[in-house]
This record gives sequence, C-alpha cells and structure tokens, in this order.
Amino acid sequence: MDKNLSRLKEVEEKFGVRKSRMTAKLDYIQSVTGFLLAIFIMGHIVFESSILVSEEFMYSVTLMFEGYFLFGSAHPEIVSGISAIVFVLFITHAFIAMRKFPSSYKQFKIIREHAKRMQHEDTSLWIVQIVTGFIMFFAGSVHIYMMMTLPSEIGPYQSASRITHDYMWILYSILLVTVIIHAFVGLYRLAIKWGFTEGPNHKVSRKRFKVIMKVMIVAYLVLGFTSLGKYLYIGNTHDFEKEPVYKSKTIVLERH
Amino acid sequence: MTNETPRLLKISILRYNPQIPEVKPSVETYELEEGDGMTLFIALNEIRERFDPSLKFDFVCRAGICGSCSMLINGKPTLACRTLTANLDEEINLAPLPLFELIGDLSIHTGNWMRGLNERLEAWIHEEDQKEVDFDRLEEKMEPALAEEIYETDRCIECGCCVAGCGTALMRNDFVGAVGLNKIARFRLDPRDKRDDSDYYDIIGDEDGIFGCMSLMGCEDSCPKELPLQSKLAYLRRKMVVMKDEK
Amino acid sequence: MRVAYTDVLVVGGGLAGLRCATGVKQRGHDVVLLTLVPPKRSHSAAAQGGMQASLGNCSKGEGDNEDIHFADTIKGSDWGADQDVARMFVNTAPKAIRELAAWGVPWTRVHRGDHQAIINAKKVTLTEKDEAHGLITARDFGGTKKWRTCYTSDGTGHSMLYAMDNKAQEQEITVHERMEAMALIHENGRCYGAVARNLMTGELVAYIAKATSIATGGYGRIYAVSTNAVICQGMGQAIALETGIATLGNMEAIQFHPTAIVPVGILTTEGCRGDGGLLTDVDGYRFMPDYEPEKKELASRDVVSRRMVEHMRKGKGVKSRYGDHLWLDITILGREHIEKNLREVKDICMSFLGIDPAEKPIPVRPTQHYSMGGIRTDYKGESQTLKGLYSCGEAACWDLHGFNRLGGNSVAETVVSGMLQAEHIADYCDTEESEIDISTKLIKEFVDKEQAKLDYLLEPKENAESAYPLRRAMENIMMDKVGIFRNEKDLQDAVDELEQLLIRSRNIEVKHKTLTANPELFNAYRVQRMLKLALCVAKGALERRESRGAHAREDYLERNDKDFLNRTLTSWPDENQTMPTITYEDIDIKSMELPPGFRGYGKDMTITNPESKTRQDEVDKIREELEAKSADRFEIQSAIMEYKSKLPDRYNGKNERLWERLDD
Repeated sequence: MDKNLSRLKEVEEKFGVRKSRMTAKLDYIQSVTGFLLAIFIMGHIVFESSILVSEEFMYSVTLMFEGYFLFGSAHPEIVSGISAIVFVLFITHAFIAMRKFPSSYKQFKIIREHAKRMQHEDTSLWIVQIVTGFIMFFAGSVHIYMMMTLPSEIGPYQSASRITHDYMWILYSILLVTVIIHAFVGLYRLAIKWGFTEGPNHKVSRKRFKVIMKVMIVAYLVLGFTSLGKYLYIGNTHDFEKEPVYKSKTIVLERH
Repeated sequence: MTNETPRLLKISILRYNPQIPEVKPSVETYELEEGDGMTLFIALNEIRERFDPSLKFDFVCRAGICGSCSMLINGKPTLACRTLTANLDEEINLAPLPLFELIGDLSIHTGNWMRGLNERLEAWIHEEDQKEVDFDRLEEKMEPALAEEIYETDRCIECGCCVAGCGTALMRNDFVGAVGLNKIARFRLDPRDKRDDSDYYDIIGDEDGIFGCMSLMGCEDSCPKELPLQSKLAYLRRKMVVMKDEK
Repeated sequence: MRVAYTDVLVVGGGLAGLRCATGVKQRGHDVVLLTLVPPKRSHSAAAQGGMQASLGNCSKGEGDNEDIHFADTIKGSDWGADQDVARMFVNTAPKAIRELAAWGVPWTRVHRGDHQAIINAKKVTLTEKDEAHGLITARDFGGTKKWRTCYTSDGTGHSMLYAMDNKAQEQEITVHERMEAMALIHENGRCYGAVARNLMTGELVAYIAKATSIATGGYGRIYAVSTNAVICQGMGQAIALETGIATLGNMEAIQFHPTAIVPVGILTTEGCRGDGGLLTDVDGYRFMPDYEPEKKELASRDVVSRRMVEHMRKGKGVKSRYGDHLWLDITILGREHIEKNLREVKDICMSFLGIDPAEKPIPVRPTQHYSMGGIRTDYKGESQTLKGLYSCGEAACWDLHGFNRLGGNSVAETVVSGMLQAEHIADYCDTEESEIDISTKLIKEFVDKEQAKLDYLLEPKENAESAYPLRRAMENIMMDKVGIFRNEKDLQDAVDELEQLLIRSRNIEVKHKTLTANPELFNAYRVQRMLKLALCVAKGALERRESRGAHAREDYLERNDKDFLNRTLTSWPDENQTMPTITYEDIDIKSMELPPGFRGYGKDMTITNPESKTRQDEVDKIREELEAKSADRFEIQSAIMEYKSKLPDRYNGKNERLWERLDD
C-alpha cells in the first residue's frame, strides 16, 4: 500500500500533476541555515574582537568556549564540536544555495549585463552574494576544517602566530570581507523574502533594513579588521620563542 | 522652463526588424526640441511623424493604464507614455524590453507571453462546479475590506516591467515572475475561487514558481503601478511552506 | 491564400467583443476573436468611473429600479434612443453586474453604518443598512436620479476587462492578436467574414464565418484631442461603411466629456464630480449652480460641457499657452478619499501634470470622449441592411444612447449588448439559413482586392501625398468646426475641406516600401478611412438643423421633434463617391413608453411634435386605469410598451432587490 502510494506520488510528480513538497522545505532550510550561520558569524567576530580589550580577556573568552567555567577544566573538543555543527550548516546551506547559481556562463552573462543595465542595487547585491558564496565555499571550508582538527590552537598568542607567521592573515582578510558582506546581505534578503519583519508600509521597512544592513557591514568590517590588526601587531612584536602560549596570571591551566 | 530656451533631446533608439534579418540591429539617434510637459509618447510620435514613419512602438491608452508601452528607458523597464522627458537627461536611450518576442524596434509581443502565463496558472475564478450564475438573485456578499484587498492585487496591468526587471526571469525563462505570482496571491485571497493551497502549490510550488524567486526586488522596483509585490510574494511563500495536504 | 473557417468571427477584444465571444461559445459555437492589441489592453480598461445598474443596495440608491434607470437614459438621450433597446438594457444591466461579480470583479461593497460623503459641497453623513453590508455599492454620476453607478475603486473598466478576459481564457476562446480587419467579405446582402491583416508579418488572411460581429469601439481619434485610446480610430465602422451596403447611424452624435486634463486630453473620471468635486473658474468661483441650479456639476455630460464652454466664452476661463481651461477642484474630498477611491486620477495628475490633486485643482476642459453613433443595427445587434453582420458596444448604434450618453451607461452597454447579441447570434447559427455557401473564388477576389490596395499605396506617384499632414488637417477641422457648438458656416467649410482631403488621400504614397510590420503603411490606409468617417460626422451634423443632446447648433437652438425626431443613416454605396449618402429613419412616437418631453435643463426650447401629446395622454390613461386595478409596475410597463418578447429568455427574469425579493 505504502509502496503504491509513493509510486503514485512519483508518477504524479513526473507528469506534472503534483509538485514535490520537498522544494518548499529546501527553500526553508536554505533560509534557516543561512540565518543560523549569520547569527553565528555575528557572535564569532565579536568574540574574536575580545583581543582588542586585552590578551587576558580574549584568553578567558577562549576558555569559556572550551567549557572551563562550566567544568573547571578546558575541553577544546567542544570547539571541535561547534565547528562540526557549523560545518554541517555550512555545507547544507552551500549545497542548497547552489541551486540558485547561474547554471551556465550564458546565464551569468545575462544577469551581469542585466544588473549593469538596470543599475539596480538589489540585483547587484545578489551577484555579490554569488561571488562571496563561491569564495567562501573554499576559504570557509579550510578555516572550519582547521578549527575542527586543531581546536586547541586558539588563543591570544597561538592565533596571532598563525595569522602572522603562517600567512593566515591573507585567508582571514578574504574571509572577513566575504563573510560579513554575505551574512548581512543575506539577512536583509531573508527579511524581505519572508516578510516576517514587515511593518505597515513594506517599502519603508525595506529602506530601513537596507540602512541597517549597510551600517552593520561597515561596523563589522571595522571591528574585524581592527582585531586582525591587533593579532598582526601581537604576531610581529611578541617573542614566540620565549613564550609560545599565553600564560594567564589568574587562570593557570596545566595544558596551556 | 517656460522662458528658457528648450533643451535639445538626443533620443537613441535600438532598431531592428526581425522580418528583415539581413539588416543588422543598429542604434539611431534623433534630435528633438523638448516641449512643455513632453512625454515619451509625444516624443516618439514626433520622431515617427518627422523623421522616420517606419519606427515601430506600441501605445494604446497613452495614460498609463493599459500596459502596452513598456520599454527600457535608460536601461530601466517602465511605461513610456507617462515618462516625462523633463525627468530625464538630454541623452535618452530607448530599447525594447528583453524576454519578450521582438516585433520590431520598440514593439514587443507581450500578449502571447501573458496569455501563456494565464493559461499555465489557470488565472481565472474556479467555481466548485460549472453551475450557471443565478444573476436574477442578489449577489453574494463580500466583506468591503476584502473586496478592496482583492482589487489592490488586481491592479496589475500585465505590462511586463516586473519580469523584464527580474534577473531570475531573464536567466530562467520558465520562471513565472512577479506578474504570475501576484495573480496567484490575488486568486488565493478571493473566496469565489474554490482552489485550496495544495492546488496553488501544484501550480507554483517549484523552482519555476515561488521557490525560484531570489528576492532580487527588480519586480517591486520596476512596477509602474507600485503594487506591493515584495509583500505579496513573501506572504505567498510563507503560505506555501506551511501548506499541508489534506490527506 | 490562407483561409480560416469558424462559426462566429468577432472583431475587437474589448468588453463587448469578449462578452459576445464567451456567450456564443457557451452556446456551443466556435468563435475566433481578432484584435489589434491583447484584449486586456483594450480601451475598455480606461473606464474608471463605473457601470450603471439599478441594484439599489446603498442608501442613496434605495428605491431605484429599471423604470427610473430607463427614464434617466431616455431623457439623457434627448429622446434619440430606441426605447425597446433601452428597456432591454436596463433589465439586463443588474444581471450583467451580478454575473461579473461571480466571474471575479471585486466590486466595491456597501459598509454598514455611518460614513461621510460630500454632497453639494457640504459634508453629509449617510447611514447604510445592516442587511446591505457586503452587497455591491454605487456612487453618484451625472444625469441620474439615484446613486446607481457600481464601481471598483476607480479601476472599474480594468477589473471588468480582466475578469472577462480571464473567463474567455477559461473557455479557450481563440484570440488572434495584432490582426486588423481590412474588409468585410459579402455577397448578395449577406456578410461572410472578413479579410484581416497580420500587423506583425503583413500577411492577409481570410476569416470565413456564419456571423461577424464588429466590436471595435468608437472613432474619437478623428479629433485632434480626445480622451480615447490611440487605437479608437473607427476602423470597424469604416469597413462596414466600405461594404456600400451597411449603414452607420447618428455619426454626428459625439460626446464631449467635461473633465479631461489640459493639454493631453486624458480623462479624469466623472466620479470626481460624483463624489463631490467642483468646477471653478479663473476666480476660483463655482459657476455651475448659476447655470443649472438643480443638478449643478452633475447635470448630463453634454449640458456641463456646453456650460463650461459658455463660461469660458464669457472670459472666465483660465488662460494658458494651450488655450483656456477651467478647474476641477477635488481637494474638498480629502487626501484619504482621493488616494483610495480616485487613485488613478491622482496617478494621472502626478504623472502628466505634476499636480497633487489633494492640494491643487486640476486644469480641465471638455474633450471629445464618446461616439454615440456607429454601425446601425436593429435591437438584435444585426445590421438592418447586411445580413450576418452584427455590431455591439460603442462601435454600434442599436441605439441606446441617442444623442447623449449618461456616464456609466457605456461600460454597462458593452457587457449587456455583448450578452444579448451572443444569444441572437447563437440562435441564428442554430438555423439552416446560417450555413455558408460562398465560393473560394469570391474569397480570393476580396483578398486580392485588399492586396492590390496595399500595393497601390506603395507605388511611386506623381504629386504624392503623405498621410500625416492629411490626418493632422482632418483632426484640426474636426476640433475647430465640428466641436461642441456647431453652425452652418463652419460645418459647410468642414465638409468642403474634408472632401478635398479625402480626394487627396487617394494619392498617398508610402515611402517605406515594406508590406510587413510598417506603421507608415497602416497609418496610410487608416487615414483614408478616417476621412470617410469624418465626412459622415460633419455632413450629418450639417444636415441636422436642430440641437439635440450633444449635437448643439448655435443657429438652431431648439430640439425639433417635428422634423428631426429621427436617426441619421449614412452609407457609401459607390467607392468613387467623395461624400456619404444620407437618409433618415423616423423614430416612432406612437410606440414610445416615454414620449418626448422637456429634459429639465435651462429653459424648454423644444419644437414639439403634436404626436407627443397624443401619445403622452394615451400612456397616462393606460397607467391610470391599471393603477386603479392595482396592477404592479411590471404589468403597467408591459401594457404601455411590450418589449419582453424581443429579449432572449435567459435575460427575461425579474431582478431581485433588498426590498423586492423573488419568490423561491
């Protein structure tokens, strides 16, 4: 019976009588994963910028994520776990969003020329989404993979060393720009796509969202690059031979 | 503007007649003295009358209500008849709307496209059974606010600006576009149409329908009637996602 | 040669054509509809204001019925209308509204309780009944006793046209777009279809049908400034005229709408005044009450237009580089009302004038708006002289409007005439007699003739004419000499000049030598045809030496029921003629339900026909006798003028109202 039913559905879908209910779910999942990733990124960059306050503060933030204040000892595998979840979200989001990529160069040319001709901001922003998404597909994967496999190498000095001497600042600069733009443009698009946050006049709401989007992009870029600068500064001024790992005066851990 | 010397407009038009394919597409520029309150309807007719009587374009109502005269004005799709030249620079570029079949110069065949769309969406009231209307009796009542809301979505004039302004529709020619989705939103509101959400899903529940829309907002920003397309599409998307089949 | 066969050929895709096509199709006949533009772009969409039907749902419409609608229509027509037709029309109009309501038109509805309205420049509170809540409401329009004009905000025509075209699509009606009917195919007094030209490829196609219906709208574009769409060039009337057999009726009856914006001539709806808007002059003074103390701004359209011109002639117009104009002031209605119920008006003012009508008055002037005349038909919509040729809507003169049409009666007419005509055509197609028995030889002759005409237009000529100057000259003659006020001298000049233009038009040469999509080519043959129509209008106006409805003669101020209670019939029997042939058809007073009387505007200037009084006495007597027997209004009406036997059975039922319920 069940088999017949599913076969029936298949036939109906094939001949266009019924449409797959999965398409709706995919659209929804793309939005939900995107939303979660954007929220994650917003937190991520803020936590990262704790370095601007002090090395000590960044160190305690790191420890917080390793569960120190909960368990009394550090567990970097928690970071691995979080990274893994983010990785799954990331892959899912990318995989579903890929449906929307231009499927041929011809299509890409059409949309590029259209955006140029219309000089339409939202259309141009979508091309930005495509390009940033594409870059992140590689850059983001590398970054998340590293965080998953080497979670214990996060800290004021280790991170600074990685950024400066392993030339990760190049990757991080690219990531920073693409992820911030992609996240906030994505959030703006989510708001208008689903209309949840629409006020009585949707045109006014949209204008406001766009202003917020731009303000947030600038704010996060400033924050992100200042933090990156601080890491680079530490990387260039700190003597890693002497003290490769940050030592806190208040929190003393065996492993760190 | 009355006492100043009038501007000299340079109107460049993309010209091509598919019936005479051996003559390649070209851009021709016409110089025209601007008149007071001049619209592109007036300007184009003057060009046809004074410079080239073979110039093809479409106007019907020339009052912005029939949707015949949509074209790309400086790259943006809009209605030519209600575009005042005073609001444009001296150099004006005109081209036919993309996506639609070209009849010649600025004239496009929107009619067959819209007809195909309407047939695909079955854009008419679906009564429960094909009973004849008993028009001798009082009409069925309808909440005044609902009637107004339906009219709000019914104001679309099928000019094609929304699809010509939509990157998705240009890339994927099977996409129904805002004009189609707005129609579904209109019939969904209408209690006289007896279709339910799973019926509507079967029409627009795929990548050529509501889930193909990428919220580029070209439709909303190009609509000469300023229909709340963004809002209607979002609403429809929510309804299609939460839709549950009866059985 | 391409030949297409069908049962019914409909030319024109507006409301009338579409309703006729759906009706015929419902009766099981095949139908092909030819149209210049996609049906949804037809000029019907431009009807902003509304559609008259005596539903009587709103408080100001209470007590309304067919009788009152009938009387308004006949008075409005200045007794030029066919009273049988008007009766059929008023009985069917409520059904048309209700049918359209079921097909998807979101008519604006009655809201229970109090609401504000502006009447005679004063705020008034109206109270709507509970039981009317949710039924179709109506607004006030000129020349009507009750609020009877049903509407959808200010997009009535648009919403009707869309619902109708959607219905046609549901019924899978064949529509051939961008096809122009070039000539009617006919033999021995019977019409067999048309030769049509594909405006994209230039191909000629013969459409052969049992019945052909022309629903191409009016011919306003023979005037330089008109509210009409640019496609309203009267080509339907012209091809009927060119058969030499079919006749056109009352071509001189041209309506000027009081409020088109200056200078472009786009209409602002009568709803502006219906909802309380005022006409003011150069001093901001409201002048209409001085001329028409009772109906003021809401007098019949012809009356308001004339009063406006009179007032401007007194020097009270506002001077502008485009000539004098007056103001339409709707600021009194308030922004909210304007943005909701008159949004299209606001749109038009903002786009074309840069004026916000909620803050500033609108510059307006009477402008050519409607053609009461058209292809003369009987009450079935069939030509009186060419069998198998039908016509409905504005294209026809069957004759609902006589010499002046009431606002809101035109959209109603499109649908109603389409409904009724579809039944008559279907009845005809059901008969043996309708079968087609013409040879392909005849078809080829007609196609070849059209091809030859087109080829000739392209041929190089000596002293060649070009179409545009001729057309502009015609348009200006019509504006200046066949306008709102007419006189012998100007009309004679107009006729002479138009005749010269017509002769010159035979020498037009098209410079751009292609038979495919070529605007120069279609402009050329249309100008030739428009000139013939212009001559019909001017000549008809010249010969009608009286003032009736919209036809106002400065040299003959009276309505002359003795000599001119008739219809002008124009025909063109020989194509070499340079002037139409004019005959007259008497309007029979003896069979009238409402004999000619005083219309109630200005002072009575009628040269009465003695028969009017005789008939009035007869009618009064019948009414008195039956009222004594306490007969109802239907029985009385039927005793005075029986018309129901001419109305198709489907539409013979009584109309239900809140206070006139139908038994189950």
